[in-house]
Amino acid sequence: MSCNICPPFCASAILGQVLSLYAISTQPTNQSIYNHTLSPQSLHYYCYSNISLFMSVTNDLDKFAMDLIDAIAKQQLSLSIPQLIHNVHDSIQPYNPSLAAALQLRLLALLGHDHHQTKVHEHEPSQLLINFEEKEIHIFTLLLQSANSISANDFDSAYHSLLVVSQLASPFSSSPAQRIAAYFSEAILAHVIRLRVLGVIPTPVHFFQHQHLGMAFQVFNGITPFIKFSHFTANQAIQEALEQEDRVHIIDFDIMQGLQWPGLFHILASRPQGPPTVRLTGFGLSPESLEATGKRLASFADSLGLSFQFHGITEKVGNLNLEQVISVTEKEAVAVHWLHHSLYDVSASDHNTLLLLQRLKPKVVTIVEQNLNKGTRPFMARFTEAIHYYSAMFDSLAATHNEDNESRSIVEHEILHCEIRNLIGGPVAGEVKFDDQWRVKLSESGFRRLSLAGNAAAQASLLMSMFDCDGYSLVEENGTLKLGWKNFCLLTASAWQFIS
Amino acid sequence: MDITLQAQELHYLTLSQRQYSHEQESMQNPNHHHQQHQITTSQTLESIDPSASGKWAEKLLKECAKAISEKDSGKIHHFLWMLNELASPYGDCDQKLAYYFLQAFFCKATESGERCYKTLISVAEKSHSFESARKVILKFQEVSPWTTFGHVASNGAILEAMDGEAKLHIIDISSTYCTQWPTLLEALATRNDDTPHLRLTVVVTAGTGGSVMKEIGQRMEKFARLMGVPFEFNVVSGFSRLGELKEEDFGVRDDEAVAVNCIGALRKVSVIERSSFIRMLHRLRPKVVTVVEEEADFTSNLDEFIACSEECLRFYSIFFEMLEESFVPTSNERLMLERESSRSILSVLACEGEGGGECERREKGSQWCERLTGDFSPMSFNDDGVDDVKALLRRYRAGWALLPAQGTDASGLYLTWKDEPVVWASAWKPS
Repeated sequence: MSCNICPPFCASAILGQVLSLYAISTQPTNQSIYNHTLSPQSLHYYCYSNISLFMSVTNDLDKFAMDLIDAIAKQQLSLSIPQLIHNVHDSIQPYNPSLAAALQLRLLALLGHDHHQTKVHEHEPSQLLINFEEKEIHIFTLLLQSANSISANDFDSAYHSLLVVSQLASPFSSSPAQRIAAYFSEAILAHVIRLRVLGVIPTPVHFFQHQHLGMAFQVFNGITPFIKFSHFTANQAIQEALEQEDRVHIIDFDIMQGLQWPGLFHILASRPQGPPTVRLTGFGLSPESLEATGKRLASFADSLGLSFQFHGITEKVGNLNLEQVISVTEKEAVAVHWLHHSLYDVSASDHNTLLLLQRLKPKVVTIVEQNLNKGTRPFMARFTEAIHYYSAMFDSLAATHNEDNESRSIVEHEILHCEIRNLIGGPVAGEVKFDDQWRVKLSESGFRRLSLAGNAAAQASLLMSMFDCDGYSLVEENGTLKLGWKNFCLLTASAWQFIS
Repeated sequence: MDITLQAQELHYLTLSQRQYSHEQESMQNPNHHHQQHQITTSQTLESIDPSASGKWAEKLLKECAKAISEKDSGKIHHFLWMLNELASPYGDCDQKLAYYFLQAFFCKATESGERCYKTLISVAEKSHSFESARKVILKFQEVSPWTTFGHVASNGAILEAMDGEAKLHIIDISSTYCTQWPTLLEALATRNDDTPHLRLTVVVTAGTGGSVMKEIGQRMEKFARLMGVPFEFNVVSGFSRLGELKEEDFGVRDDEAVAVNCIGALRKVSVIERSSFIRMLHRLRPKVVTVVEEEADFTSNLDEFIACSEECLRFYSIFFEMLEESFVPTSNERLMLERESSRSILSVLACEGEGGGECERREKGSQWCERLTGDFSPMSFNDDGVDDVKALLRRYRAGWALLPAQGTDASGLYLTWKDEPVVWASAWKPS
């Protein structure tokens, strides 16, 4: 139904669409509960009422979402909630991204409860928010409200909503939904203060605890497959690309503790034609940690009889000339590896980094990217994307490690929470990031994709079988490998060769 | 003073110095009044290196307080920005202090203190059940003598003062949900002479739900029955300010020996009503008044923002450090206590005058002594009482000690944490 005279956010049209979506499958008798929204008067009301007013009446939204779910359950429809969420997204998103996000979020939150054993906490009906699940719905409603307020430049309302969330949600709760909410409210609150204090152009900086990162990544590596996925698939691609080479120069754009390389050294050392000479250039945050990493790797290479040289660089990749990275005179086969995250900046300028990559003329570039857009985008888009992404991450940790509080807590606090803060804060001044995924940019910039469908995919499958959990989803698509949680893609690994 | 220069100095102090040597870019900002103090933002902000810069939160917070008191909006924005980028409610002590004080300063700067405080209180009230509040208190008492110190000292004084009395009436003005009384009931039950009759009247300030007190009352009655102590439980509620209370409200009977137990209670009385409140207590003709307060002064500096902020920072730094060392890192109970502190910090620093109702303007032991002297004279704790406290402290981790008040006008006992007096306990009889 069209609504020409309505304000841009035409709630009635949208509601009509959503309702008709599943009304097709409903029995006529049960449409009565929805009649009030189909009646001309109520459509008229929704038509002219301010969309933000509608959304701020959270009871309505919750009731609507609950009614939807109830109706589906009553009907024993084959339309599952994930499908409904998908339909809601498709039908509402083009017209009103905010409402789509709101409904999706509510449905997601409600869906999430089916998967967790929520203890019913003691409660006093008259005083407490009724029960645990309702408390989480309330929290997520407030988070969404705050995001909407920010989009509407109403920072005081946003601050207020977040103040409430910050009192209700705990990062030490047994419920992953509460933990996410606690960290998101911290991130958004910091952003609101930034906006309120500094005006339209807030200037965030990266948030993370350097001295805890090494340990946190080791724990992360131990309890999730994401890092190993990156290492295994990349090493396979690198090994294959460098098979015939005698002099090899590996460049790791973010070496950290160099956990990846012993595996590759092993492979290179056991080559039938004998090992190559290996030079490794690692980019990192501090001279001390680079030195330690270099020493460690050198010692390991030595034990394998591998000729090895290490070079550590603390400058950001995009700020360097070719000569500062490799020796232009010596003929070496270059392999570049880059595992993305959202903790701190590696490239400075993505554009310059791409130019450098081209000049390096690498035999192989292995990139593992997050399913996140790091370019300049409005707040609501960043928020919606981040909450979906990290819901999946927190969910995966909870499903596999709900008892192991300490390890899980470390990963959530030192890595995920910091990433959330950075993503919510948005791009940092002076750092220019691509809007597109790197694999798109590489394919447009003289790089040819090397398929990971063969041995690399086999390696990845083997890895996943080692992780005793069937929630992880591994998919091969056009030669790239995608690792996700319950079909939500989190990381994409791809390999490239420079051809011209 | 050149603001940019000062900004650079602070950056140097707080940022670790390994890192990218980018040129300092200044941000173009449409809000023109920001331009003269634009911060360099092209550097990625490394985490703080403790060895390089010590307590960065304290330095930044002091500078921010100074800027607020001088009403220098450029500097205020600058320090709020810095604190905001570094603070976190779930990090280490510095990050937490920075976070909670930042919120208070932010509310102060945006003049939204009262509104935010009311919101926080309302949420806290609605989301705390009896079980959750009790869990926090019990866990706190398990890991730290912060509250049990006052309980043990007060119980000792009460038992001494009421020795031989057949009918006791304890008026309890505290927020520790009667966790003090089981040990006292036990002591009464195991005394050699006849077990006295005990009436307990609990004064409930706004915020503690009626059903919470009902639950507490039932538990106390059950416990008293078990102990074989004749027991009556009453609740005084329905008033908005402690200062409103009058002698008649407690229903004191002529044949009773009255003890008034004030644990963190006097600080909840509005500053201007404190003298009259104490006089009212005097009119109850109590055998003993026990007063336990946290050792901090947010009253004499009521109108001096910098002094008040610094005292707040001094006290809560100690408190947060103590919490961090007493609880496990993932403790929800510790988080609740930190949030409670944050409400206090907000009300003291961001609310005008007395704030939204329950502003807790603490005073130090010496200040309370001044107030109480006249209507009351100090009672010293007997040796048994002091021994009990010493025995209590031995049950906890190292760092806690007992310090009797020094000086001619001083009285009472201090609990010290790493040699800093943190809680003051005293007993008084009417003069």
